[in-house]
Amino acid sequence: MRDLSVRAGSKSRILAGIKKLSRQKYLQGMALIGIIWMMVFAYLPMYGIIIAFKKYNITKPIASAPWVGLQHFNDFFGDDKFIQILTNTLGISLLKLAIGFPLPIIFAVLLNEITSMRFKKYVQTVSYLPHFISWVVLGGIMITWTSEGGIINHILMELKVLNEPVVFLAEPQYFWGIAVISDIWKELGWSAIIYMAAIAGIDPELYEAATVDGASRFNRIFMITLPCIKGTVAVLFVLAVSSIMGTNFDQIFVLKNPLNAPASDVIDIYVYRMGMNSARFSYATAINLFKSVISLMLLLTANRVTKKLTDASLF
Amino acid sequence: MGNKKSLKILSVLVALMILVLSASGCSSDRGTVSVEPDKAAEQGADEGTPKDDEGPGWKKDTSDITFDWYIHYSWFGAKWGENEVTKYITEKTGVKINFIVPSGNENEKLNTLIASASLPDFVTLGWWENGVKMMQEGDLVHPLNKLADQYDADFYKAAAKSTLDWYKKPDGNVYGYPNFSMAPERIEEGMQIESNQTFLVRKDIYEQIGKPDMRTPEGFLNALKAAKEKFPTVNGQPLIPLGLQEFTDSGNKSIESDLVNFLAIPREKDGKYYDAETHPEYLRWMKVLRKANEMKLISKDIFVDKRSQMEEKMAQGRYFSMIYQRTDMASQQLELYRKNPDMVYIAIDGPSNESLEPNRPAFAGGMAGWTLTHISTNCKDSKRAIRFLTYLISEEGQKDVYLGKKGVTWDTIDGKDQMLPDVIKLMNSDRGEYDRKYGAEKTYWMLTDELAILKWKPPFEEPIKQNAEWGFGKAISYAAYDDIEPPADSDEGIILKQVKDKRALLLPKLILANSEEEFDKLVNEYQKMKNDIKYDKVISYSQQKIDEHKEALGIK
Repeated sequence: MRDLSVRAGSKSRILAGIKKLSRQKYLQGMALIGIIWMMVFAYLPMYGIIIAFKKYNITKPIASAPWVGLQHFNDFFGDDKFIQILTNTLGISLLKLAIGFPLPIIFAVLLNEITSMRFKKYVQTVSYLPHFISWVVLGGIMITWTSEGGIINHILMELKVLNEPVVFLAEPQYFWGIAVISDIWKELGWSAIIYMAAIAGIDPELYEAATVDGASRFNRIFMITLPCIKGTVAVLFVLAVSSIMGTNFDQIFVLKNPLNAPASDVIDIYVYRMGMNSARFSYATAINLFKSVISLMLLLTANRVTKKLTDASLF
Repeated sequence: MGNKKSLKILSVLVALMILVLSASGCSSDRGTVSVEPDKAAEQGADEGTPKDDEGPGWKKDTSDITFDWYIHYSWFGAKWGENEVTKYITEKTGVKINFIVPSGNENEKLNTLIASASLPDFVTLGWWENGVKMMQEGDLVHPLNKLADQYDADFYKAAAKSTLDWYKKPDGNVYGYPNFSMAPERIEEGMQIESNQTFLVRKDIYEQIGKPDMRTPEGFLNALKAAKEKFPTVNGQPLIPLGLQEFTDSGNKSIESDLVNFLAIPREKDGKYYDAETHPEYLRWMKVLRKANEMKLISKDIFVDKRSQMEEKMAQGRYFSMIYQRTDMASQQLELYRKNPDMVYIAIDGPSNESLEPNRPAFAGGMAGWTLTHISTNCKDSKRAIRFLTYLISEEGQKDVYLGKKGVTWDTIDGKDQMLPDVIKLMNSDRGEYDRKYGAEKTYWMLTDELAILKWKPPFEEPIKQNAEWGFGKAISYAAYDDIEPPADSDEGIILKQVKDKRALLLPKLILANSEEEFDKLVNEYQKMKNDIKYDKVISYSQQKIDEHKEALGIK
């Protein structure tokens, strides 16, 4: 008896589902296009991942390449560059996360406190501008600025901070700093947009009530603004953590050189060298697969932790 | 919130997919490419050999046809059909070309074309590129000799024999034909062959410090020192006493090739190829560069700058001396010349070996030439393709591409076929406009034969003249040693890559070493590393290639 009713229940639920779907057929149709796009461009090509376990030759079909198991992964872990590459990748990414993640939040909150609309718009526009310059151009500018006769050396020497010019990009010890600072400078304004949007969505009544209650500006920031954008911050944090294994390829590519290589050789660059320059496609795929798996694990972990802590999460 | 959530999930997934995609590249699967001649070829065979054997093959069919031609260089911007040369050639042969040029990373574009089996009719790329091996081994390109046997025997007349022998693969086939190949049988006595490798100094500074001899270490260091003392700055920016080509992931061409040639370091010892990096002359001069750094004559900018920064500095005359490819700075040279003819760079005798033998820069081009042009198995009409290729490499084709149409771009002046003065003037002043309007000279360099065009070349003009003429008589052929590196994905290739990676890091360290002891230590470590990873395997691979090459070239 009980069995039957359950079955009947599930049946009616399926029917209801179909009814609901047919009512939404236009909406679903639109979603379907996206799903097909994803299947074609994202899921089907995943088949290509198997070349990480094969000895692939680009002129022959993937299927006919011989299996080599985990050989490429072993090669990578055994590579004497492995530790250095991993250290640089994690070092640069963690610094970017530690400094580059909170700064846009602070920037957005501060912008929100500006009362002059004109000034606010002006600051916003100026801070976006570097985002629209590509790294190839910006990298060239950075190289010139940090060169022997460049503006940075000029200023530091005028200020008597330095006695002799330092070619900053030629010294590995400065590379992480240059990478992090230039990245933040370029993306600060742009990253702040999403927080600005979140702040704009806060009910103004909250602020009014707080003002009536005698809350100071700082009180309002800490008691209203920040708690209200907590969810957005959490979600972006999860995404930022998951991209720790990736560094900004374009940026590192234009700023690296043989002298700063000990600090600038990162996974993305190594993959490029192996895949594009040396045509070792299988090896390069294996490295990137390793990177993707770690990223996925980081994503899941970060998602879990933020869910526990803030109740906001990706899924 | 639900929608927002799923959007986020979507974006994360998409991001992950992109990561994966970027690694796997294009993964389209396909069957093996047919090795048989394509349909057009079969039709051609059915028709039998053409009856009228008179005249060149391309004249037999001048109906309209458009070929797609892939050029493996994103900087290639010339179009077909707008300028005098291409209009003339189309009018003559009926062939139109649609150039396909990568818009971004060249290897990405080529790999996509290869993996998706959609190579266009013609494919042109450097002989050293991995793509060459992939296409040839994957049977994606026609053997030119088979096409020639079938459709156009003139090909063998137009092509240089030793060049064909050079590119003959173990299966007896020749898959691509090069440009700028210096076939020894075509080099005549007294031919003035240029070299790109030069040691350049800024004329005014060099003269003001008394034109010192820079061939010896002492002379070299003293000249750098004197230049820096007399001219500490250029336009308020510090002078850079010595410039080199870009330090890349795989090393530095100025050191590995130019310097080695200047020192006339033999490539073989007792008839065996060896590692030139161990030669005492090479180490002696690397120590000179180290000494230069100790004397504060090396600017660290040279390790950091990319080509664009260097070009900017050259145009400002920031370098005193350079070991550099003169052709790579020709436009900066012209800019300097316009500003002040005394500020230009002149080529002088550079670092030399202990017995002061003359510098031995390499021929521009060498035996292997620069790029190889292939006819792909996808070609829509391989009969017309091989005939067109034959035309292009023949004397007539060379002349049409280099000089253009008689009366329009060239004429016989003083008994010599040469470009009209106005045309030359435009070429030297506005190359872009020249390409659009006339498109002669080397605008379409894909099959240029340097030896064939020599007789039509306009006389050099200053400041290029001095640079080019310096190499006459000094430049020699290193033909047997071109193209001796193992393929990148072979065991030897992987060893070589490791050595190159290491070398790229080592070269700056050697120059920046604090003492000779440190220098020696670095060199010893490097040599030990080479031993440990069995670099001699690479050497013996190269030896084998050299032996093959020598046979092809008929040396000993």
